Amino acid sequence: MSAADLWETALGPVPSLGISVSGLVTGDVTRSVEATVITSILDIATKKPRTKAAELSFRQAQLAAAGDTLALAHETRRKWIEAVGAYEAAALVGRSQSAADAASELAAELGTTGALSKADQAREHVFTAELSAEHADAKLEAQLAKEQLVRLMGLWGTGTEFYVPDSLPALPANAPNRANIERLALTNRIDLAAGRLDLEAVANRYRLNGQTRMLSDAEIIAGAEIEREEGESERAPVVDVEFRIPVYDTSGLISRRGKLEYLRSANNLAQTAIEARSEARAAYAAVTGKHQIARHWRDQVLPLRRQIDEQALLSYNGMLTSTFELLNDAREGLESQLSAAEAKKDYWLAEADTTAAVWGGATGEGASEGGDEE
Amino acid sequence: MNRRQMLGAGIGAGAAALTVSAGQAQTRFRDLPEASSTDSPYTQVPSRPTTGLEYNPIVTLNGWSLPYRMNGNVKEFHLVAEPVERIMAEGMVGRLWGYNGQSTGPTIEAVEGERVRIYVTNRLPEHTSVHWHGLILPSGMDGVGGLSHPAIPSGKTFVYEFDLVKSGTFMYHPHADEMVQMAMGMMGLFIVHPRDPAFMPVDRDFGLLLAAYDIDPGTYIPRVSEMTDFNLWTFNSRIFPDIDPLVVSKGDRVRIRVGNLTMTNHPIHMHGYDFEVTSTDGGWVRPEARWPEVTIDIPVGAMRAYEFNAVHEGDWAFHCHKSHHTMNAMGHELPTVIGANKKRVTEMIRKHQPGYMPMGTAGMADMGEMSMEIPENTIPMMTGWGPFGPLEMGGMFSVVKVREGIAPDDYSDPGWFENPPGTQAWEWTGELPEHASNDSPATILTPRGGIRLG
Repeated sequence: MSAADLWETALGPVPSLGISVSGLVTGDVTRSVEATVITSILDIATKKPRTKAAELSFRQAQLAAAGDTLALAHETRRKWIEAVGAYEAAALVGRSQSAADAASELAAELGTTGALSKADQAREHVFTAELSAEHADAKLEAQLAKEQLVRLMGLWGTGTEFYVPDSLPALPANAPNRANIERLALTNRIDLAAGRLDLEAVANRYRLNGQTRMLSDAEIIAGAEIEREEGESERAPVVDVEFRIPVYDTSGLISRRGKLEYLRSANNLAQTAIEARSEARAAYAAVTGKHQIARHWRDQVLPLRRQIDEQALLSYNGMLTSTFELLNDAREGLESQLSAAEAKKDYWLAEADTTAAVWGGATGEGASEGGDEE
Repeated sequence: MNRRQMLGAGIGAGAAALTVSAGQAQTRFRDLPEASSTDSPYTQVPSRPTTGLEYNPIVTLNGWSLPYRMNGNVKEFHLVAEPVERIMAEGMVGRLWGYNGQSTGPTIEAVEGERVRIYVTNRLPEHTSVHWHGLILPSGMDGVGGLSHPAIPSGKTFVYEFDLVKSGTFMYHPHADEMVQMAMGMMGLFIVHPRDPAFMPVDRDFGLLLAAYDIDPGTYIPRVSEMTDFNLWTFNSRIFPDIDPLVVSKGDRVRIRVGNLTMTNHPIHMHGYDFEVTSTDGGWVRPEARWPEVTIDIPVGAMRAYEFNAVHEGDWAFHCHKSHHTMNAMGHELPTVIGANKKRVTEMIRKHQPGYMPMGTAGMADMGEMSMEIPENTIPMMTGWGPFGPLEMGGMFSVVKVREGIAPDDYSDPGWFENPPGTQAWEWTGELPEHASNDSPATILTPRGGIRLG
């Protein structure tokens, strides 16, 4: 396989928003763009033994590039979710405003007939006016969110005229089942693949051969002596999923520098693996929790709001409450819808972070925070 | 009383209710008069007395009279204070407290000079007492919990016994946690008939108590903490359109006795007649102290009985003259939308509430005609249909129906009155109808009796 072929496979179709979004809608991590980008690279990067330093460094560069792509894809996906979420919020604030407009219109009409004082009319109007400001703000926020998306996608000119939907996809029936997320992350994360390559490069550079045994990341972090040739350390902590790190026989090594470099690489890799585990668990906790919260809004809060709206109409019909009270209930219902939409957006962000936790590409604001940033 | 004790009391009361209905109750209550009960909200005309002294029974509107037994010379009654479900109108149930299955409670009827023994069983979750409003009796029988005697604990039966030293119009109600228990519907009439049947005789004797409740639309139980802003104004815990009519035969001497246990006065107005108050809860009014009226204000905590000769046939409205009291539950904070053009606003609102109907822009009469879905267990604010259209009434409203030839004990609804020709308001269409136009130069004497002939 030539270098040109490798590049094409790795970065071939630059992950586009379209692909990214299809991954979002199916909600299936293994079918997302990351899977297409990485699988082929990982196969060649990790399975075959390598002897040539040149090829190793080429592979390293390749993985770094793939890592950047994943980070961009992840960032783009988050921005897309935020932009669509912002449009959804703006639309809901718009509906609130339209309910307030109706109250304002009625207040003006009752001012004309002489049934409502100037003060009471002003109270209705000022509410509407304040809500218009909020609506304008929400619309602006949506526009700015779209602009951030445009920047990430590198679009310009007419390319920026794409349509951002008014609402995020509905909440799926279940959160993605990723009980094995730790294993997935350890198998698939591109930074771990890069770490292995680093280790291989060090071993290659110092002509280490004779791989003696494998230690897990946890064992290394717990301080297992890599140099010891006997079997596994008795202090090895028990972990469900092992991330195996090759240990070479360094006894024949002349330079102490080489030995230290190897140890550093092995420790770095172990540390990355431990972090990847934590990020994966956090991402899974976040996506499960956010799904439950969003479902609570959808299945508990919104039905109660609908019931309030229905009863408000009956009460109005019976001349027990006024049109103003009816509209007020409608506006409060929209507040709940706004919160429900926010919870749904949080879920989709957490879902995107799960993908990043499995494949890599999570930025600082990613996996561990589970999309909590405002 | 803390919550725990309250629960215990509730269980005790429930257990008492069980024992009464079960067979072994015969043992425990062997010596007591039967605790009669009714689940009917309709007027039950009492039969004439077969034991004890003779009297002309009173007809309690949408109520009944408590059966009694004679024990030697003593007339014995058994009142049971208990939670009840009162059908306040078809489609509305009030979860009230009352006596013997209903609120208001059954009317107690006896005769001047008799001795009465009244067993009061308490099946409420809290203590109660019975105050015999207006009756002259020993202090220890007056029924003020804590003052006259200890209140009747939940699950217990107390006995009141006294002589009826004067005839008249009285009532009974609790005087222990009185505010709550009266807001829950505990009250009843107590009529003492004159010993001499020839004293103040009438052919028809009606009685009712004015009671007010605050039952929020969509709910069943009164808000007992309400002081003034009640939304259901009732005759005997019934509201229009389901208060029975007062059926009278033409020529009858009629007495109507009204007691007020609400928090405000009620000017009770009857159409078609003038009449005089002949009795209060203090006693009979001497003839020289009476004056003619068409509206009688019933003060709070007071009773009035008025009489008239039913000479004018017809369907005559009988209601409280406070116009909000002839309404059922409604919003009192509604803005007036008369004259407002709601066309545009309706379109705007329907985006949020597709079922929105603009109402009230021409007045509120559309409420009486439209039948839109309203909250459950709620009677429309204005409702009822007569022979000529919607009545647009509610609350304290009924009809006195005076007809020719109604049998003495017949109180069944004779239907709507048919106005004799020429005695009904008509629409003017540019010409006078035949009976009102006259092109004859001859002198025509106007017929007597107010009825014009064609």
